[in-house]
Amino acid sequence: MSLALPSTREEAWRWSDLSGLAALTDGSASGRLDASAVPWIGCGGPRLLFLDGKLDLVASEPGTLAIGPVDAATTHPLGRLATGGGWSLALGSGHAPPATIEIVHVATGGANHLPARIELAEDAQASIVETFVGDGWANRLTRIVLGRSARLMRSVRLLQASGFTSLRDEAEVADGASLVTVVLGAGGAGTRIDGRVTLAGTGAYGEYGGALLARGDQRHDAALVLRHEAENGTSRQLWRAVADDKAAASIAARVEVARGAQKTDGEQSLRGLLLKRTATVNLKPELEIFADDVKCAHGATVGELSAQALYYMQSRGIPPVQARALLTRAFVADAIDRIGEEAVRDAFHADAEGWLENAA
Amino acid sequence: MLQIEDLHAKVDGKPILKGLSLTLNAGEIHAIMGPNGAGKSTLAYTLGGRPGYEVTGGTATLDGIDLLEQAPHERAAAGLFLGFQYPVEIPGVSNLQFLRTALNAQRKLRGERELSGAEFLKVARAQADALGLSMDMLKRPVNVGFSGGEKKRNEMVQMGIIDPRIAILDETDSGLDIDALRVIGAGINTIMRKPDKAVLLITHYQRLLDYVKPDFVHVLAGGRIVRSGGAELAHELEREGYGAIAA
Repeated sequence: MSLALPSTREEAWRWSDLSGLAALTDGSASGRLDASAVPWIGCGGPRLLFLDGKLDLVASEPGTLAIGPVDAATTHPLGRLATGGGWSLALGSGHAPPATIEIVHVATGGANHLPARIELAEDAQASIVETFVGDGWANRLTRIVLGRSARLMRSVRLLQASGFTSLRDEAEVADGASLVTVVLGAGGAGTRIDGRVTLAGTGAYGEYGGALLARGDQRHDAALVLRHEAENGTSRQLWRAVADDKAAASIAARVEVARGAQKTDGEQSLRGLLLKRTATVNLKPELEIFADDVKCAHGATVGELSAQALYYMQSRGIPPVQARALLTRAFVADAIDRIGEEAVRDAFHADAEGWLENAA
Repeated sequence: MLQIEDLHAKVDGKPILKGLSLTLNAGEIHAIMGPNGAGKSTLAYTLGGRPGYEVTGGTATLDGIDLLEQAPHERAAAGLFLGFQYPVEIPGVSNLQFLRTALNAQRKLRGERELSGAEFLKVARAQADALGLSMDMLKRPVNVGFSGGEKKRNEMVQMGIIDPRIAILDETDSGLDIDALRVIGAGINTIMRKPDKAVLLITHYQRLLDYVKPDFVHVLAGGRIVRSGGAELAHELEREGYGAIAA
């Protein structure tokens, strides 16, 4: 397959490193699954296991989830590769699954592409956690349509040891509906997180944020657009980026306020932490406002761990590595704390902790 | 117990301590007084191993262990506690988490069993009660949003939980009203006035010494001890000022 990938000369891809994707695509998956190593959180709801993009029926309990062709066409350069069969969740008015839905994507090499569609009718609600592990290139397109007053909490863990994970989310949020997406990047693979959330209805709420932890020569790259098209919408983008060694973590986050989207309340908090001077954090907050009665706050800062706090902790007996880990964990905690469900939140904290404890 | 001999130290390339010698035996409370810029805080930080405080000569040993060779967290595990003049705020890290991590790291380094969450909470609650700090405050991030007095009280709660062999308290009385001073004074006596412990109180004023009676008072000026005496020396300094003595 020949790949037509965006180049870093394009503004939206300037911090991306897609150079490894061609080789990953030419590679092949081993398809070997260690069932005991699948990182289920154990939420008790429906669950799906995808091995190299193919459903593993034995390990899955689809419940309300459907498997088959997915209506999720896009022009996005990576998202459009995810065609054909995938998974979907369609909830009727007022429906809610009994517990959090869990989806685990295990990759064993090569490239796999998978589309998904989540459509919640009026007042329906769902919570979904997705986890990516393994090696190879996992590419996902997720189309989200929330009806009036529907609520979706989506948590995504990017834990692949190597290879690449790319996400493309396209969401539309109707009147009074709420979409919260929290992403944790705590593996060893390169990532690209691409999201476009349109607050199409009055009083809609959209949140997209997370924590990206990078070391070695790893690259995390997120590009988000929160678009307000109706009045009284609220959006939040809270990102924490941590980079060690020669790694780079980049976040471009934009708030768009269309003409007529009065009383918009948009907030961006982008913060970067450099654990070494050789690391890079790129933060690019953008506002594009065509309405005159809006409140948009944005902050972007990059810094190092406080030397004072480090010494204070050491003076109480905490060794330097542990002190750095505690401070780094505190730095990313508020991004992870946006996750509502305790078991999921704890699992994400544990993954961040695991990353920190692996510090050389 | 703590033996400092001919200690020289530089900060930003500038010599501050210039041959300081001092011995603290177990069961003793010593006060170090002196004018601003005498090197009082430098002494505390040098013994605590703060980066930027460069030892250029002399020795400091705690129970025969060469303190100056050790990393700050190892000094803490050896029994040294440093009470900060300006306790540091640590957003996102709760006091309880901070202290449990600290206490267990020290115990681990000393080859002792680490405390469970329940065991630790019992110790923490007892110390917080003794110093009138609520458990709710201990659940909050370290010193964030604490008043000056609360921060100092928190230093004492930390000292109580860690239970060090020797405490160096740097201007623990600064910024305290008289009630807070009484609480802090009582805390120091309860936690540290014991036959196997020692305290080095660094203070600019004599006030704290009304509550914590020192066995010895030393005057630090120009980077060395220029005079030593009993508790009465503090009163003499209060009456006559540092001018005559530190000249």
